[in-house]
Amino acid sequence: MAYAYLFKYIIIGDTGVGKSCLLLQFTDKRFQPVHDLTIGVEFGARMITIDGKQIKLQIWDTAGQESFRSITRSYYRGAAGALLVYDITRRDTFNHLTTWLEDARQHSNSNMVIMLIGNKSDLESRREVKKEEGEAFAREHGLIFMETSAKTASNVEEAFINTAKEIYEKIQEGVFDINNEANGIKIGPQHGATNATHAGNQGGQQAGGGCC
Amino acid sequence: MFGRSRSWVGGGHGKSSRNIHSLDHLKYLYHVLTKNTTVTEQNRNLLVETIRSITEILIWGDQNDSSVFDFFLEKNMFVFFLNILRQKSGRYVCVQLLQTLNILFENISHETSLYYLLSNNYVNSIIVHKFDFSDEEIMAYYISFLKTLSLKLNNHTVHFFYNEHTNDFALYTEAIKFFNHPESMVRIAVRTITLNVYKVDNQAMLHYIRDKTAVPYFSNLVWFIGSHVIELDNCVQTDEEHRNRGKLSDLVAEHLDHLHYLNDILIINCEFLNDVLTDHLLNRLFLPLYVYSLENHGKGGERPKISLPVSLYLLSQVFLIIHHAPLVNSLAEVILNGDLSEMYAKAEQDVQRSSAKPSIRCFVKPPETLERSLEMNKHKGKRRVQKRPNYKNVGEEEDEEKGPTEDAQEDAEKAKGTEGGPAGVKTSGESEEIEMVIMERSKLSELAACSSVQEQNTTDEEKSAAATSSESVQWSRPFLDMVYHALDSPDDDYHALFVLCLLYAMSHNKAPGTQEPSVPGSKGNSVRLTDHHPRTALHPLPRPCTPCPPPAGSALLTPAAGRTPVEVLSSALKQSRVTFAPENTPYLVRLPAISVSYEITNQGMDPEKLERIQLPVPNVAEKTTYNHLLAERLIRIMNNAAQPDGKIRLATLELSCLLLKQQVLTASGCILKDVHLACLEGAREESVHLVRHFYKGEEIFLDMFEDEYRSMTMKPMNVEYLMMDASILLPPTGTPLTGIDFVKRLPCGDVEKTRRAIRVFFMLRCLSLQLRGEPETQLPLTREEDLIKTDDVLDLNNSDLIACTVVTKDGGMAQRFLAVDIYQMSLVEPDVSRLGWGVVKFAGLLQDMQVTGVEDDSRALNITVHKPASSPHSRPFPILQATFVFSDHIRCIIAKQRLAKGRIQARRMKMQRIAALLDLPIQPTTEVLGFGLGSSSSTQHLPFRFYDQGRRGSSDPTVQRSVFASVDKVPGFAVAQCINQHSSPSLSSPSPPSASGSPSGSTGHCDSGGASSSSTPSATQSPADAPTSPEQPQPHLPDQLVIVNEIADSKPSKSSARGAEVETAHLSPSLLPAQQPTISLLSEDAADSLSVESLTLVPPVDPHSLHTLAGIPGPPVPAAGCTATPDEEAACAEH
Repeated sequence: MAYAYLFKYIIIGDTGVGKSCLLLQFTDKRFQPVHDLTIGVEFGARMITIDGKQIKLQIWDTAGQESFRSITRSYYRGAAGALLVYDITRRDTFNHLTTWLEDARQHSNSNMVIMLIGNKSDLESRREVKKEEGEAFAREHGLIFMETSAKTASNVEEAFINTAKEIYEKIQEGVFDINNEANGIKIGPQHGATNATHAGNQGGQQAGGGCC
Repeated sequence: MFGRSRSWVGGGHGKSSRNIHSLDHLKYLYHVLTKNTTVTEQNRNLLVETIRSITEILIWGDQNDSSVFDFFLEKNMFVFFLNILRQKSGRYVCVQLLQTLNILFENISHETSLYYLLSNNYVNSIIVHKFDFSDEEIMAYYISFLKTLSLKLNNHTVHFFYNEHTNDFALYTEAIKFFNHPESMVRIAVRTITLNVYKVDNQAMLHYIRDKTAVPYFSNLVWFIGSHVIELDNCVQTDEEHRNRGKLSDLVAEHLDHLHYLNDILIINCEFLNDVLTDHLLNRLFLPLYVYSLENHGKGGERPKISLPVSLYLLSQVFLIIHHAPLVNSLAEVILNGDLSEMYAKAEQDVQRSSAKPSIRCFVKPPETLERSLEMNKHKGKRRVQKRPNYKNVGEEEDEEKGPTEDAQEDAEKAKGTEGGPAGVKTSGESEEIEMVIMERSKLSELAACSSVQEQNTTDEEKSAAATSSESVQWSRPFLDMVYHALDSPDDDYHALFVLCLLYAMSHNKAPGTQEPSVPGSKGNSVRLTDHHPRTALHPLPRPCTPCPPPAGSALLTPAAGRTPVEVLSSALKQSRVTFAPENTPYLVRLPAISVSYEITNQGMDPEKLERIQLPVPNVAEKTTYNHLLAERLIRIMNNAAQPDGKIRLATLELSCLLLKQQVLTASGCILKDVHLACLEGAREESVHLVRHFYKGEEIFLDMFEDEYRSMTMKPMNVEYLMMDASILLPPTGTPLTGIDFVKRLPCGDVEKTRRAIRVFFMLRCLSLQLRGEPETQLPLTREEDLIKTDDVLDLNNSDLIACTVVTKDGGMAQRFLAVDIYQMSLVEPDVSRLGWGVVKFAGLLQDMQVTGVEDDSRALNITVHKPASSPHSRPFPILQATFVFSDHIRCIIAKQRLAKGRIQARRMKMQRIAALLDLPIQPTTEVLGFGLGSSSSTQHLPFRFYDQGRRGSSDPTVQRSVFASVDKVPGFAVAQCINQHSSPSLSSPSPPSASGSPSGSTGHCDSGGASSSSTPSATQSPADAPTSPEQPQPHLPDQLVIVNEIADSKPSKSSARGAEVETAHLSPSLLPAQQPTISLLSEDAADSLSVESLTLVPPVDPHSLHTLAGIPGPPVPAAGCTATPDEEAACAEH
């Protein structure tokens, strides 16, 4: 499928904060959130449009690989954006943010856009972390912030897309060296090539918002 | 029901979603599958949606209704998936299937469900399916699928993937084929998969991996890494004007990724994998490419080489990251003790022998691709080829033949079969394998002690080569020489920095956790060359590590007897120093150069030096010597750094200091020889001169001085981070335009030169103090703990306060009292519970404050207080921006003057302290204090003083505050006394210079006193080279200020020889002002009435402390201080 840019994202945060659910929720609309089903995936991709440009987001969940230093390190380095997720109903996941952030800052490209996400905003009654706290943390560390719910799909779209917008802006400003794929950004395969349009037709028709 | 479902499938009506998750719906979907076994254009969408829905239902069933899964099993629905896949049904369907599989394996929580999905080999069939990997999305889903599976691997599930009988392990072998995929995320996933596989403790599987895949995989991996390194080197060589930095930093990061990956494998500690990996790393990469490049005597010929800085840099990274004992020990051993014969011998071998004898230690491309090796392996798996087996023949000529690799593995396998046990790898007696130092196990243990040592490193051929080589007679260590030589470069520190990093890295190489439990007989000093420091932390002192009795600290792999002498030998051989085990020295003579065991690394990568640094216990405890050679070079670097045009970067200097401390500091003190200490002091003196050169009264100097101190203490060097920075790979530059950190380049322009001089001074001063075991007492100029902080509760009974309304920028408004302390201004609010006390609502340093009038309001002032910059380049950040509105014009003026003066004075006092640090003559104190220049300057704006009794008194009992504390106890008393005694103006008049010896004069100048006295300590710190500095007998000093400080030092116990000065230096600035006259500006007659008469001196002196100081002529006279006490009460009352 033709795209102008491809952005690679990673999702980080404690286990159980709903990273893979967020990922699935964003990348595949066909899986509709239902109360008695928790479903996630570790990899997903989706096309979005920013500024009239087709941009493909490729999102990698890093869950389960934290025990290997080399792996986390490499992941951070290869990503243009990171979603740092905590669970608003579990204070400890919020408390661990600093560690995650330190890790991210240490290993990543300094231009990496990090978005802070307080997930499970649907569980208002069990909330342990106030929205203001999340905002304050984000402000203090220069992150974008948003509360989302993978269950109700609230703000999920925005979270990913706003991150992409920020990356896109940085590209426009010339901050990212887009010719260097190590940044987690790739330029699309020959713009407007014929086979690309062909593939586009095929996919557009079928992919009810889906996996492509 | 069908209708509804169908409509959902087609259009996805939200309403029907309730029924989507049900057994019935699954049945329906099953029906759809049975009707559409063939994929066509028409049914493709339907099939995709069906497959997707099945996924959803299965997960739902897993979480809610087990009957769903039963149905899935019963109908064997997995087969449909496989069937569809095999029809080459195109990308769209493939992606859906892969997503489904991802989701299934990711979300299934019940083990039985998982087992079912894995059984019947369906999954393996999917793994080996030839997808269209050129499609990046398929590739990504596929590799994620493998990764998800690998996360499910454990001792039970591994059997679903690894088939012992057919020797199939598709999950692993398919994954590693992508190890060099251009897409980084794919490579990362491959690494994850391999690590997850290695982690499973299943012997059969691990044997398979080692025997059938390890050699092809590791040899290709090593080649891959090496190719990147060569690219990296090219990048450095061809760089102009630092234009390659972007690419360079990627290549460096890539190299680091690889090292971390290798280390992660080694940490898993799967012994036989580690052996193979270590062998490949050492003999195919680190030695031939990195280490041999250290030596540049031309003779290298065609062998690939990298430049010296790159090689040093990469080796440092290796030592910083990899901690696998056999590997680092062998590597260090070659660097420190290896000789040329080794290298040349091998080089010759390479040439002479083609494939018959596999090349040894060279960096060559594997003869075939990994994929091909794996294929061959598979096919030949069962064949027994009777060939000279050698699994390390990857270096052979390609066309020679493909066979050996597999044969070798087979053989190794066979060997293992016969021998069993952990010794498996090595064996079948081929001499060439001996080169794999680490692999020596059972075999070597039988060998005689000494000879075994030799065997370790050499093959038969090598041995003979060594024997014939004349050089081997001499003990030459080209690599080590090179390393030392690089330290010597007079022109710049380009190479020196790397050398220091390398030495640091070697000496801090620490085996994390239990690294080699499985190695029989490994213990003690052999293995952990380290046991010292966690990776990132810097420790000034070497610590005692796990005790290991020298002789028993046996070889990792061979008997202890063979080793110990060698260690000794190596140390003894180094020309300079003491051998600590003389009885062993004879061994030296007998051993050929190359034979030093790798264990030596523990004991001394380099003879005396590294013994010091990292030798486990024996030496740390009773360390008496150090490597003079190295120490001298380090001191030379320091000396060089202190020169005006020195080309030493700050990072280099800091590292030198670290290494020196590491060498000579022991638990019991410093063992640096006097002569070296003198040199070091010389360097320190030089640095003082250097800073003096830049010392100016300019405001900016003070800011820089404090900035530098802050950044130096807040960000101590982290060598690991330093070595992650690619920019140091390029020759040192002076221009900040490169964006390189200040510490990693040379200064540019006067400001940076000043900063650098200051930093050099700090570092050498700190080093000097530490080596003498003296505490730092004069830095930082302002100690955090001495400052008034928000929410402190202060006794304001004797303070002068001005009431005002503070209007902050955001419109907030508050009634506060403004108080000006010696270094700080604060805004207080009366404490409701205690009369005359106040709670600090804001406190800011006067030196960072700006005050300006407000144009149209004569009663108001604009005041901004900046936060001290945390880094030299950060913009000042205001912590207070407000307008202060006073009750009338006069108070406003007073406040303004007080603040402005306070600011100047605070800065001057600090400048004086700096001057003292630099042994500069103190400026006339009169100016500083505003005394003696006429009534206008003398009367106003002397800082107000208030005491925080509670906090100060208790918080830091060790500090020498007792004098003031005692004053604090009775603030009212002291003042009252003053008033009684001296209402006379005379006290304010004595001009300090004339007042020598006069207590009253001295009290007036406590600050300059602090400064001047502080010069004394610096003098004492350098007794050797500072004969000029006067010491104890203060009475003779013209400088009465010293006396004040002596007096101030009421601390009874500690005032030993240096105690006195040091203590005074310690005096917190905010305490010193006790001796400051204070004025009340709030008397009824307001500013006009302010006059000399209103001054009252506060006694700074605790009578006791005076008594303790014999011979000091200062009688305990209450000192200056002035207050119209009623005023502040009035002021308080006012509001």
